[in-house]
Amino acid sequence: MFYRRAGIRHTRYQDERQLFPLGFDRGLIIAVILVLLAAPFLFDRLYVSGYLLPWLIWTSAALGLNLLMGWSGQIHLGYGAVMGIGAYGSVHLVRLGVPLEIAMIAGGLLSATIGTMFGGAALRMKGIYLAMATLAMQYVVDFVISHSSVISGGSLATLQVPPVRFLGIPLQGDLPTYYLAFGVCFVITLFMLNVRRTSFGRALAALREKDYAAQILGISTFRYKLLAFWVSSFIGGVVGSLLAVTYLRAISPDQFHIELSIQILAMIIVGGLGSVLGPFFGTALILFAPIVLNNLLGAAAGTFGLSLPIDLRAHLPLMAYGALVIGFLLYEPLGLAKIYANFRNYLLVWPFRHAQR
Amino acid sequence: MDWILLAELSTNGVFVGLMYALVSLGIVLIYKTSGTANLAQGAIAMTGGYVTWALATLVGVPIWLAIPAALVIMFGFGLLMERIALRRMIGQPVIMTIMLTLGVEIMLRGLLPGVFGAAVKRLDIGLPQQPLFVGELLLNRSTLIGGSISLLLILLSLFFFNSRFGVVMRAVADDQTASWSVGIRVERAIAVAWGLAAVSATAAGVLWGSTQGVDWSLSLLLIKALAIAILGGLDSIPGVLVAGVIVGVAESLATGVLDPLVGGGSRDVVAAVIILVTLLLKPHGLFGRHHIERV
Amino acid sequence: MSLDRRSFIAGSAALAAPLALPVQVFAQEKIVRFSLPQDFTRIYTFVTSEYNQGQRDYFTLVNDRGGVGGYKIVADITDHANDLPRAIEAYERGKREGAVLIDPLSTPVARALVPRALEDKINMITAYSGRSDAADGSAFPYVLPLSINYWTQAGLIIEQFKKTEKGSLKGKKIVFVHIDTPFGKEPLPILNVLAKKEGYELAAFPYTPPGNDQSAIWPQVRRARPDFVIFWGAGVGQTVALTEAIRNGLPMDRVSGSVWLSESDMDVVGREAAKGVMKVEPCVGGREPKVIKDILADVIGKGKGAGPENKVGTAYYNYGVQMATLMVEGVRKAAEKAPNGPVTGPWLNEGLRSITNFTADGLLPPTTITKDDHQGGGMGRIARWDGAKFVPITDWFSANQDVVWEEIRKNSDEFKKTGK
Repeated sequence: MFYRRAGIRHTRYQDERQLFPLGFDRGLIIAVILVLLAAPFLFDRLYVSGYLLPWLIWTSAALGLNLLMGWSGQIHLGYGAVMGIGAYGSVHLVRLGVPLEIAMIAGGLLSATIGTMFGGAALRMKGIYLAMATLAMQYVVDFVISHSSVISGGSLATLQVPPVRFLGIPLQGDLPTYYLAFGVCFVITLFMLNVRRTSFGRALAALREKDYAAQILGISTFRYKLLAFWVSSFIGGVVGSLLAVTYLRAISPDQFHIELSIQILAMIIVGGLGSVLGPFFGTALILFAPIVLNNLLGAAAGTFGLSLPIDLRAHLPLMAYGALVIGFLLYEPLGLAKIYANFRNYLLVWPFRHAQR
Repeated sequence: MDWILLAELSTNGVFVGLMYALVSLGIVLIYKTSGTANLAQGAIAMTGGYVTWALATLVGVPIWLAIPAALVIMFGFGLLMERIALRRMIGQPVIMTIMLTLGVEIMLRGLLPGVFGAAVKRLDIGLPQQPLFVGELLLNRSTLIGGSISLLLILLSLFFFNSRFGVVMRAVADDQTASWSVGIRVERAIAVAWGLAAVSATAAGVLWGSTQGVDWSLSLLLIKALAIAILGGLDSIPGVLVAGVIVGVAESLATGVLDPLVGGGSRDVVAAVIILVTLLLKPHGLFGRHHIERV
Repeated sequence: MSLDRRSFIAGSAALAAPLALPVQVFAQEKIVRFSLPQDFTRIYTFVTSEYNQGQRDYFTLVNDRGGVGGYKIVADITDHANDLPRAIEAYERGKREGAVLIDPLSTPVARALVPRALEDKINMITAYSGRSDAADGSAFPYVLPLSINYWTQAGLIIEQFKKTEKGSLKGKKIVFVHIDTPFGKEPLPILNVLAKKEGYELAAFPYTPPGNDQSAIWPQVRRARPDFVIFWGAGVGQTVALTEAIRNGLPMDRVSGSVWLSESDMDVVGREAAKGVMKVEPCVGGREPKVIKDILADVIGKGKGAGPENKVGTAYYNYGVQMATLMVEGVRKAAEKAPNGPVTGPWLNEGLRSITNFTADGLLPPTTITKDDHQGGGMGRIARWDGAKFVPITDWFSANQDVVWEEIRKNSDEFKKTGK
């Protein structure tokens, strides 16, 4: 009934290889896209600029990191710094009068260049050691950004994003910013969906499973490790500048600290490593669980007279954030994407469960 | 060049470094036995500080009793953490354990201040505050005492590894499967490693808590501890001692020499640079063992 | 940490408001809604709960006395944890619920909200946080610090040192130990300009945030043999700085901090040991002022307090009350001008920007907010810790405002040019 497979017969190889062979999947995705496109007219402004916009931006970032961590298996604890480089690069260019379209790409390229240096560490080490190296680089980048007043922007260390246009449309108000974020997220998602069908994507997968083995198979680990870092950092840089232009509007060094890196990491862990759908779920959970919990606690306090000390009440969302990460790792290491897949698999054959292969 | 200043900074650096090394000891213990990186060590130190404070202030236990009691409680906490969380992670990719310990870190950072209040707590263990001048050198009494205690504890752990149970743990560190086959209970050894790591973290948390007050920022000891663990070699306890002193002195001197040049607090970045340089030049640290990877 | 249930229900009516359900409590009356998303959990933990408690207690006092100008105050409190997505969500939620004022009490959050607040015409209070140049009301009509910014505080401290040295700082050495963040570096331009003007020598020592280890900084400070020391940080950095200063044997009566120093910091450092240290007081501390006495009698006394009673009258609690009195005074003025509203951002803005010579019965220095000056006149005083409480050693005064305003104009002009 749902996810119906009966009656779908592929007569050409292209058909079978398409991204979503099931008609139901296609319909679902089109429906979601339509809802997202119509969102500014359907929902209150609070939900568009307070929820959907950050969701799209953070998801894009998580997708970029997932390429590196989920696809090629390289650990990266400094993604926030990579995004920061892109954000600072593009905002400086915009302030110099470069059009936003070029500035975003340039920010991405700058991130990619420096991010590849992070990747240089991956050539020599892996596992815990790589994690430590990228963590250390995060601190170094933070330090450089906040201590060169040329980069961070004078004594107040805040860089204001000037009014900008994207393809001739001024980015002011909710509509244009939302659609720009939507567009970027859409393109990145499309890229991520397709990358695994390319030789690049397959090389990354081989790298993830065992880099020595991949080398023996003739995959240049040197090249593909660096390439993985390059692509992922490019995405990070573009998303960083998107974040700065559409959401933050004024950037300061503390917005790109280790907390951001860990947050994005948590999103892909909770969502599901190596999945495209996962980051969408993971971002929603990690970003909004604290907010929702906060509001719920407020409601509980109001309606039931639940008396919690303010310190405890205020720290509950942080505990929940930690508990979410721990809980998923212990009980569903493959994340929300796996839970969705289980659900989908169940419905694939519902109500004839015995027919399951 | 102000030589006296440099001498003073280095001496204080040595002792501060030893106090960092105590946090690092736990990371090394755990890595040595189970091969997982414990990124929650800073938060465990914070937890230890909070528990001691709570025992001393809320329960009213005298401080000389509160500290051992906290050490025992935290030993249990370490065992519990291994049993509930880490044991399920055996066989999972590295990123999973890293993320798990980060998750624990986040949760503890919410739990303790949430329960006991976020304001900075005073933990008085009786370290004197008055300045101590040796010639023109000023020695910081509390770091002096703290550093000496750390040194003692680390040396103690070295001796521990020569005891019967220590030999068992060394065997587990060497080869888990082989230990298993000769009848060593590997899980128990790993659990004890976690317990001891929590104990050393608690000791560090108490020492640091008494110098700076107890609040969430104790969890920031993590990055220094990591730098020491990496520099010393992730699986070497003498390495912790040497690297602790190096990192402490380097940080202290950097603050004195480098800060005026770059116009900023270079302290944290020193730890980061030490990690990077170590990993690039000598990935297994000063005393760490090389791994041979088989396909 | 113990709250009795009844008091919490009253207080938590406000807490419930962030939920989509509109709160029914004040439904029939005319209300002014304030949004107070603050950082209870991350960086500003040292101040937020006391500050917020003060604000809530004062609002309770005002509402119990029948409101102000016919309006009741509704305050929505949430925790934004210094996290921008959460803060922006809280801001948007507040806006949708009709909040006309927001007090985020966090510099990064305030900076990110500046363009939004200016665009949406919502009054943003940035007391002791946010951009210092927001004191220039012509560039930031809807951003109101309502308090002395860090540049003014630095100016006040230098003036006090000058008084101690009988009018001249020539040839003296002042050491400025600060947290190495934008906030910590903020006073540097003013201190440098004043160094040229007054002829003292300035040495700055930055420490790594959040400042839990400063053992390598203070020996250098001691060896620099300073005549005066200013330490500039917040939370744990302050207590560690003081502890280290004591350990290094610096004379405490020549050490001064900014407004970020409270009784609980002194508890951590040790009340006796810290004797003599100075701080800037933007409002009266302790339980003496009439407003605090009223709160003790009518709010705490009736079991409606928003938090533990022993916090009442502490430095940060009083800062909260100070800000709350200014907000309420703004509402009063606004209601005077346009009694029937409508309650909007511009409506309140008119009121806030016409506060004149307001002292809240002796809690604040005479404060006058104008369309140009959002700082309120730049008055403060210096207080000294005597082992039990902060005792004022000067009267309200303002100093070096010319230098401060030059710096404010320089930055706000830059904002006018590139921002908007």
